Amino acid sequence: MSDTGPPVVLVVEDEPDVAETYRRWLRSTYDVRVAADGPTAMAELDASVDVVLLDRMMPEMAGEEVLREIRDREMTCRVAMVTAVDPDFDVVEMGFDAYVTKPPERDELMETIERLLDRAEVDDDLQQYYSLVARRSTLEAEKTEAELNDSPEYANLVDRIERQREEVDEELGDMSTDTDFVGAVREIMNDEGEQTE
Amino acid sequence: MSTPYDIDEVLPAGTIETLPAGTNVLITGPAMVGKRELAFRLLATGHEKGEGVLCVTTSASASSMLDEFERRVPTLDRDRVAIVDCSGSDSQQAIREIATERVSSPGDLTGISIGTAKLLQRFSKQNVSDVRHGLVSISTLIQYLDLNTVFKFLHIYTSRIEDTGGLGVFTLEDVSHDAKTVNTITSEFDCVIELREGADGREVRVKGLPGASRSWRAFD
Repeated sequence: MSDTGPPVVLVVEDEPDVAETYRRWLRSTYDVRVAADGPTAMAELDASVDVVLLDRMMPEMAGEEVLREIRDREMTCRVAMVTAVDPDFDVVEMGFDAYVTKPPERDELMETIERLLDRAEVDDDLQQYYSLVARRSTLEAEKTEAELNDSPEYANLVDRIERQREEVDEELGDMSTDTDFVGAVREIMNDEGEQTE
Repeated sequence: MSTPYDIDEVLPAGTIETLPAGTNVLITGPAMVGKRELAFRLLATGHEKGEGVLCVTTSASASSMLDEFERRVPTLDRDRVAIVDCSGSDSQQAIREIATERVSSPGDLTGISIGTAKLLQRFSKQNVSDVRHGLVSISTLIQYLDLNTVFKFLHIYTSRIEDTGGLGVFTLEDVSHDAKTVNTITSEFDCVIELREGADGREVRVKGLPGASRSWRAFD
């Protein structure tokens, strides 16, 4: 994710009018890039891209193939499929992080992008939450209940854990949605083995 | 979705009879004390009322899970049992008989989450809305993954069970891990059922539920 400037959204859409509409909608909030087909999208894609809006039906390279290549390259951007047909379960199985039915409304598109950007924060915030809980667990393993009750450090930690958990749950959103649930798990797996306590 | 899950007669009288929808329960105790068996009993109790069971197994095969459920519920409706099998040791047998999603390793949490999402969607198409979710066991996940990853996954998965109004039943072999690890895992659960071998046989204690007695009781 880019540290400076607005988030980068890559629109992959073969119909120029549709791509232009998205660009107009999004350009005041995001840095928008447009690719007219799969191969161009793959060439455009680098670590600065935060969210990809991927049209499912394109000549040359279908949305699924582009997604597979993104996952194979182990890029951490989040990918929303834009589809005219009701996607049913295959969206989750194919590994899309969200989907939008075509033609999307402006608000719907913005909301989806915001949700995916939020999700990028989930892993970091869960990691912080974990560190706080791990510290509390160490204190609880080492001290008696009376000592804990007298410890301002412990009381402070308990407060911070509560606040951090609220923040995490806010970002996670409604976990009854399949794509949000699987997407959140995929986020934490991106970092598996890389972080130490 | 909002009615509580019945666990009548699973635990000693006067302990707990029902658990609110969205509750996540952790069963802890040493090896061979019967955590898995208790998990099966908690999962199978609502079957005759039309509930579904969706269980993730990390070491036992799907077919041995199915056998255990059928022993417990002779009238088992196989359409309402679904298993995510990451034990890597199964024959094709159970897969033909019940809905099974195979995941190559207990370390593949993305695969596990996709498998559970598919099976839950299948239940919802059958109009089975009350689902008991099992994960046996967390100890295997800790062998394959960093503790922080397992913790984060449990936070997401228990939120999922809460937000879908299910009942979650997980097991952890507490003596294999240090106190800090056990405390960290335990903190993600609404309720902890502890098992131990006492001088006069097996005992149980329930922590975390308001109203439940916190003392050890005999438990056969």
